[in-house]
Amino acid sequence: MIERLAQIDRRWIFLAMGLSIAIPVLLQMQFPEIPGSQSQAVFDAIEQLKPGDRVLMAWDYEPSTEGELGPMATAFARQCCEKGVRMYFVTLIPVGEKMIDKTIDNVLRADFPNLVEGVDYVNLGFKAGYEGVIKVIVTDLRKLYTTDANGTNIDLIPMCRDVQNIQQMKLIVNVSGSYPGSKEWVQYAATPYKINMVAGCTGVQSPLMYPYIPHQCQGLLGAIKGASEYETLVAEKYLSENPDPKYMEARRRMGPQLVAHLLMILLIVAGNVVYFAQRRSGGVAG
Amino acid sequence: MKRLIPLLITAIGGFVLIVAFFIPAWQASGETVAVWFDILASIAFILGGGNLLKVHLQHISDRRAGWGYSVVTLLAFLLTLWFGCCKTNAPPAPNTEYYGESFASLPLEALPEFSVAGTLPVRGDDKPLPASVRRQVRAEDGSLYFRGWMNPDQITELMSYQDSLEWQASVEELANTAQPPPELEGKVFYRADHGALAFRGMMREADRSALERLFAEHPAGTAAVAQLWEASRRETSVEIATAPPGLAIPDSQSEVVSLDGSRLSIRGPMSESLRRQLSIDWTHPERMRPFTADQTTALLKELTDSGLPMSPALEVAVNEELGKLWRPEALVLAINSAGIPAPEEKSASELFTEMRAGERNLQRLKPAGPAVQLNAAQIARIEAFAFDPAITVESLEEGLRQDGDWTGAQAAALGRFLSQQPTLAEFRRSLTQTLLRQARIEGVLLPRESIERLLADSRAQADWQRNVDVLFRAAHVVKFPWSGAYDAAGTPFGWIYEFIFQPLTATMFALLAFYVASAAFRAFRAKNAEAILLLGTAFIILLVQTPLGVWLTAWVPDSLSALRADELKRYIMSLFNTAGNRAIMIGIALGVVATSLKILLGIDRSYLGSGDD
Repeated sequence: MIERLAQIDRRWIFLAMGLSIAIPVLLQMQFPEIPGSQSQAVFDAIEQLKPGDRVLMAWDYEPSTEGELGPMATAFARQCCEKGVRMYFVTLIPVGEKMIDKTIDNVLRADFPNLVEGVDYVNLGFKAGYEGVIKVIVTDLRKLYTTDANGTNIDLIPMCRDVQNIQQMKLIVNVSGSYPGSKEWVQYAATPYKINMVAGCTGVQSPLMYPYIPHQCQGLLGAIKGASEYETLVAEKYLSENPDPKYMEARRRMGPQLVAHLLMILLIVAGNVVYFAQRRSGGVAG
Repeated sequence: MKRLIPLLITAIGGFVLIVAFFIPAWQASGETVAVWFDILASIAFILGGGNLLKVHLQHISDRRAGWGYSVVTLLAFLLTLWFGCCKTNAPPAPNTEYYGESFASLPLEALPEFSVAGTLPVRGDDKPLPASVRRQVRAEDGSLYFRGWMNPDQITELMSYQDSLEWQASVEELANTAQPPPELEGKVFYRADHGALAFRGMMREADRSALERLFAEHPAGTAAVAQLWEASRRETSVEIATAPPGLAIPDSQSEVVSLDGSRLSIRGPMSESLRRQLSIDWTHPERMRPFTADQTTALLKELTDSGLPMSPALEVAVNEELGKLWRPEALVLAINSAGIPAPEEKSASELFTEMRAGERNLQRLKPAGPAVQLNAAQIARIEAFAFDPAITVESLEEGLRQDGDWTGAQAAALGRFLSQQPTLAEFRRSLTQTLLRQARIEGVLLPRESIERLLADSRAQADWQRNVDVLFRAAHVVKFPWSGAYDAAGTPFGWIYEFIFQPLTATMFALLAFYVASAAFRAFRAKNAEAILLLGTAFIILLVQTPLGVWLTAWVPDSLSALRADELKRYIMSLFNTAGNRAIMIGIALGVVATSLKILLGIDRSYLGSGDD
């Protein structure tokens, strides 16, 4: 038995992983979520904003991490819309513009048709230069952004007329999937210029962000779990009992995550059982 | 030289950035260097593309192992580059197309110049005049001159150039002067950025005469007017199957838009507001009003008679859909809100006059007039209108005027409110979607014929709007074909992104789950104390990242709450992880400082390559 387990073809493991994700998705498994302290901190940071406050929405992710970060971006946008803040979307990643468009189409235009582009929100789009872009716009926005993503002169956009740099933002909301992302926004904008910031990032990135919490980054949503907790908070305050499915994406994804994580634990245990059994029989060097 | 120049660029750029960080006075230099960094980075992209071509062509030429992948890479690169750079099939940008306007080239010098007394303000930062007006504004001998007609955006930009009342009053005066003759107001514009004279809609004889008088002394202007005359009267037609039964083209527009049998025609370009009017407003669609209990019963009966299996859940869904319709209170609120006059802002000239008269406490707003609110009779009339389809909007408005005070703003609010309500066709489409959704939940199949009957009005409305859209596009002459977004929906680039790039990158990332699972089984072994610590931590984090972790340890009493899974995760992440990460970060930072200094001082030149080639 142990021998067979030790020699198991990895394709069986792939199949088990595939099923552990597919079955909960097909069964639409969902679990109640209890928000943690970080999700609460993120929620509170946005809740404290007043209508008309300026918020920089830095969407630094791409399709590869959209599954993990898309739901939190949607929930961020929803809460910001509910608060009536002015949203300035930017991205440091070329395909980030598509992510911004998706958020604007799915949340702002679909559920808040009263919001006016250029007055309530603006998509400033992508600029090449990684953290170099942050370093410039933190002191002079117009040096890099002379137009928005549609090519409209920034001086003709009502909500941009009085903005000299991003130090005038009340909050930076960053969704980050890789480099450049949350870390760069903390290092080049939030910390040196004391701008409040909350972030949402992938599970791989989140351990790297913890050293900045809570002084340099007020709150952090780590991976789909953080998104799910935050989504619960937003839904409880602003959405009806049966919200639109787009506002339940993170919670829907917790079902596959639970089963996949249990499988991982099972595989680690099985691997160690094999390891110790083989060591006892002298098959593996300790 | 080949190595010295990059070395100098690196050293100068690096030192300027360091100095700019510590000395605020050098901040602007730091920004300039950062912008240059961006420019150089862009050049690096070009070099990177060249290198990619070279490497993969070499691979293919040498028939090395996996050369087929190189072919795929090159094809993907070249196709993306082609579609991105050539903007193949990309629609022009709406903000540069000026829909509804015809353009004719005309040099700025052909336009009249206007002047008022005034001077250009002196700014401490030497900031030049806004780019949009720079070529048109000049100051000479105590007068301000503006060539052409000032548009609202130019007025805004010029006003914000300096916030002194004297300057803003001068701009206001200049803007009032620099306008086309009254008979051409709102019809003719000068688009300085494009060097074009623009005419909105179809030009009539009177407009042509007025324009010819205006440019009588300028042959270029006369030629432009002739060109505009041709362009703005070009006839465009589309064949349509049927027109909406309620379609009525207003007399004032009958010369512009016409329907002759199955031929829908327009003379000149179609503006977006005209498109909206022709699509919806002129078809006079029935707008939804709240339903009475009898109307609800009648609707349910109609649905049942049409063959729909109306279960209690489907009836609830219908009632929910009806609940979304407006209520009389909402209309009363909208009209009452419009009855509160917004305080009017004083013009800069008025404020400047007050200031010169010695007023110290300047008030930007004029006192608002008294609020006009609906009285009981008017509210009763609105409630009657809401539930009685026999009362028309016109008779409602007439009645409201007779019953009490009624302002233009309130009349506008009434029209706006009702025009925002769904049409009968839109309501039926929304109702169908709700019914289909509910039927799917219940596992019931709704008869296709019933659904088609419900959607018939909506389909007819969509067909008409499609016809109008076709006419809109056909009547428009594209002015700037390259102005659109290369990745707009429907373009080849958009398709590459949507259907190749997006799924592929998502798949690549998702593959991680499979490899991590395999690695967890084969490599995550408790071989020693460190590995056991790592294993334990991984167990906790894996569990806590799911709802199960919290649920499993929820029974732990409050006195031992530190042992709950979420608390354990918090300790691990905020204590052990943070401590470890900080140590690593400090180490990296010291390493970066040391390495950067070596690079800036030219001690470490490894980044310049071997120097052999």
